[in-house]
Amino acid sequence: MSTLIEKHIVSLLAEKDDKAISLLYDNYGDTLYGVALKVVRDEDLAQDVLQESFIKIWKKADSYDSSKAKLFTWLFRITRNTAIDKLRSVNNKSDKEVQIDVSDVYNLGVNGIRPEFMDIQENLEKIEPKYQIVLEALFFQGMTQQEASDELDIPLGTIKSRLKIGLRELGKIYGATMTIFLLLILLP
Amino acid sequence: MKEKVQLFLDSDILEKYLLGDSTKEESLKAERYITMYPEVRETYNELQDNLETYARLYARKTPEGLKEIILHSARKERVASRKIYRYAVAASVAIMIFAGSSYFFWNQNKSLQQENTLVTNKIKYLEENMKNQLEDVRNQFIVLNNPDTRKYTLKGKKEAKELKAIAYINPVKKLSYINVSNVPNLPENKCFQMWAEVNGELVNLGVIKQLDDKDKLLALPYAEKAIGYITIEPEGGNTSPTVQNIVANINY
Repeated sequence: MSTLIEKHIVSLLAEKDDKAISLLYDNYGDTLYGVALKVVRDEDLAQDVLQESFIKIWKKADSYDSSKAKLFTWLFRITRNTAIDKLRSVNNKSDKEVQIDVSDVYNLGVNGIRPEFMDIQENLEKIEPKYQIVLEALFFQGMTQQEASDELDIPLGTIKSRLKIGLRELGKIYGATMTIFLLLILLP
Repeated sequence: MKEKVQLFLDSDILEKYLLGDSTKEESLKAERYITMYPEVRETYNELQDNLETYARLYARKTPEGLKEIILHSARKERVASRKIYRYAVAASVAIMIFAGSSYFFWNQNKSLQQENTLVTNKIKYLEENMKNQLEDVRNQFIVLNNPDTRKYTLKGKKEAKELKAIAYINPVKKLSYINVSNVPNLPENKCFQMWAEVNGELVNLGVIKQLDDKDKLLALPYAEKAIGYITIEPEGGNTSPTVQNIVANINY
């Protein structure tokens, strides 16, 4: 993401100019939708999450502090937390129903991946699976480190170190993702 | 210092802060370290970049029409927040009016209560006063009407020849009254004062005022063989009678 566009969006947000929402959607919508979908694993729910997240982003626009976090980090936190909350409230309403949904949607989701995103696996392969598993659990499944430790049957200390190393390892993807960005930019 | 920074970097606070999973204390600590130590800031920025890279791997094309829905609801939210703002202003004004009128009524109530206390006290005082006067009048009536009451007519001597007074003494009821019916004019700095000698002690009965005391009976302390005096004293009265200025005396 060009820092120039980022700066422009930030200044529009600060002025509460609704062009900011449109620009945010164009530049981050797909990624945030991906994040939401990864967490809730249901397209309808993910759309709700994205909509709620954008409303929150819009409401909190003047509280964004660029010295504390990059724009994407801020957007990611809001979307991820909204998605996790959504998932929890849906799970509370009806555990069974959601479990059926999850298995249905999981297949749909895999089939629905567009070709330009197909090299996710290729990119992720650069990261050892033991880190991937921990990152996924913590990033997208809304687990706390303790929950991840219990769920994955990995000691808490190992979870902590794998999160740390995994996050640093992600830097390896950077070179490869540049091609994805170019693809995204060239898309009509 | 280095150790502290290394310890912080070794903990998972920065990672939790990145994801928005940190507690309030952890967030404050992370923000402090990011601001203070360049190596922490560098790591944080690197983590932020990695997070974005990682998240972008999972990007999915958003469904058609979702953008319009989101833009529409964001605008609606804006209008709603303006409405809320307007309601807030209206509510504030209403609260202020309410507070103002409450204060006004409270204040009014307070002053009415004060007035009420004042009036009650006044009534009590008047009642007391009236009782005393009635008692006085009753006693006067008893004395004047009693067959045992003797009447003494007094005339002034010396400068006060015009002074006329009538004393009513009742030895049975042990009551005595005096009525000063005529007071001669005195120089401005002089006045008449009444005294009674009771059991060898002189008691001040007060100053006789020029007009007000006409036709008014004054109670005298009763004692066997008491003597009443009227003297001319400097204006305002004296603490002890000036013997050479005695203008009238009553033996009773």
